[in-house]
Amino acid sequence: MSIYLVSSEEIKALALDLQKTHEVYGPQLKPPGGQVFFDLLAAGEVPDLDAAIPSMPVKEILFPQMERILKYRYDPEAQQVEIEKQYAEKPKVLFGLRPCDLNGILCLDRFFLGQEFVDDVYLVHRRQSILISNTCSAPWDQCLCVCTHSGPAAEEGFDLDLTRLDDGYLVQVGSAKGQAIADAQGWQPAGEEHLAAKKAVIERSIASFPELAKDNKAWISRAMNRMTTGFIKHEIWEYIGNQCLECGACAFVCPTCSCFNIEDAQQCGGDCERLRTRDSCSFEGYARMAGDHNPRKPVEDRRNKRFFCKLSYSQSKKYLRPGCVGCGRCQWVCPGDIGLPNVVQYIRRETSA
Amino acid sequence: MAQANAQARHRPGSCQETGVCPIVAFPEVVNIDEIRDEAPEVKTFYLSFLDPELAAQFTLKSGQFIMCTVFGAGEFAVSLPPSPENDRFHITVRAVGKVTHALHALRPGDKLGVRGPFGNGFPFDEIKGRNIIYVAGGIGLIPLRSSIVHALQHREEFGRIILLYGARSARDLLYQEDIVEWKKNEGFETFITIDRPEAGWSGHVGFVNKLIEAAGVPVDNTVAFVCGPPVMFNSVIDELLRRGMSEHDIVSTLERQMKCGIGKCQHCSIGRTLVCTDGPVYTYHQIKTLGEVI
Repeated sequence: MSIYLVSSEEIKALALDLQKTHEVYGPQLKPPGGQVFFDLLAAGEVPDLDAAIPSMPVKEILFPQMERILKYRYDPEAQQVEIEKQYAEKPKVLFGLRPCDLNGILCLDRFFLGQEFVDDVYLVHRRQSILISNTCSAPWDQCLCVCTHSGPAAEEGFDLDLTRLDDGYLVQVGSAKGQAIADAQGWQPAGEEHLAAKKAVIERSIASFPELAKDNKAWISRAMNRMTTGFIKHEIWEYIGNQCLECGACAFVCPTCSCFNIEDAQQCGGDCERLRTRDSCSFEGYARMAGDHNPRKPVEDRRNKRFFCKLSYSQSKKYLRPGCVGCGRCQWVCPGDIGLPNVVQYIRRETSA
Repeated sequence: MAQANAQARHRPGSCQETGVCPIVAFPEVVNIDEIRDEAPEVKTFYLSFLDPELAAQFTLKSGQFIMCTVFGAGEFAVSLPPSPENDRFHITVRAVGKVTHALHALRPGDKLGVRGPFGNGFPFDEIKGRNIIYVAGGIGLIPLRSSIVHALQHREEFGRIILLYGARSARDLLYQEDIVEWKKNEGFETFITIDRPEAGWSGHVGFVNKLIEAAGVPVDNTVAFVCGPPVMFNSVIDELLRRGMSEHDIVSTLERQMKCGIGKCQHCSIGRTLVCTDGPVYTYHQIKTLGEVI
């Protein structure tokens, strides 16, 4: 694996270079001084690699909240139909991914591309994309990637990995695609001392993690064990269910949540479209069938399902890791205080009693 | 479109292994050749693919399902009643929700979209040489029809074949012409019941679990296929278990809300399995260990 030492100017040049052939997405403050979004960079714009964790996960780019997948024209009089595929391939660069978000993409890859069937819509988004990760030197208040083994530095799955050092960026190549980019840029090779400097950055980063994350470290695996074997009292789920407002925010900000709905737009006359929209297992209608039979009616059953999906071993087989990448976003957004770290705390409280 | 679907991928080997390569990504267009009223609110739609190549390729296993598009309304999952061998391609649907009501408003010559077939299907080769009991409640007979016809096409390879079938009333009984045909097979036993007595009905009255007693069903070397509403399902299972049937020999097919059919949207998850790719056919033993109520 080649390593390079690259100046900030060269990183900017790389971003601008890639814009010539790709849609380049990266972190930016929107509006200036506002929140961080991982969004499409306008021509000439460069990613803000010092920005905090983006408020939304980058899955929006590969698995948008709403997407048209099919169009059809139906003429009931002539009894004719024409179907047209709607999603198209555009090469994309995700520039400056936090390791948690990178791991989120790897989870989606394993799930959408690695099971019995390959998801064609996701594949089209993903096939030509380039992933450039950025070592996280400043964890945020709710971060817990150290507990879920998904940060603060990326270990796999990237094409290029950046780490900010005192004298520039250490760039590590992770794939043939990444190597081709590095070769074209003609960067200076880096040495052992730069790898050592990266190690120091990681150690400083880990030391600055909030107490909750350090505290939880062993308990994520304990919670997984409990989730898998089902040794969690029903009262705990009832308590968690009572806290849930069924807003679905946790699923929308989760880098690994991948449930979706498919709807044909109604009242479309002859020209109809089929939409694929993200969904959340916390909604009451999620499993409800025509005829109103709902196998998952009580809210605690639906909450149980979500954390089973994130933490049980059997679900983890789909991702080859726990379904949580430790970004902490669910903890930020949950109005009922049942983000994943808190649920782990509740399970911990119960099992230590 | 056929070409686009040919490019739609499944994991290498998986479709070759089963010999059934489903239509995955985009619906293929079928014509509604004929519509028959089965019962109040229930109609059978006979379909044929517009693309003759596809019509020749399309194969199914009993117990599988398709995703059916009603253009302008949406897509729904529906089990396949035709036998895998020498049977007309059709679906039987009760008008329950938005899309199925739109389907019922269609007329012959209208078009539908079809993806699939998906799902694991009922065991067939594995149960040769054994007795089969089919227990159906209401429209639960629809998915079982495929297996019944298939088993009767290989009548000599099975022991006793018994159908226990219950419906709300006499006019709710499905596939009445088929049942007359099936009865012509030697050793095919049929017991039919309706929920409440009615004029002109001289057969059994009561719920279908009562028929188990009446039919004197065998337990040894027997497999039971059960499909019906949850209440009926539970009472039948209880009765079969009480008579000493093994949990592994009771087979059912489950129904869930489905959006994609290929294991991605997750709407059909039950505990750790997805009904679309791991199911819809499970043994009662599996159902019990899925980790969630049915």
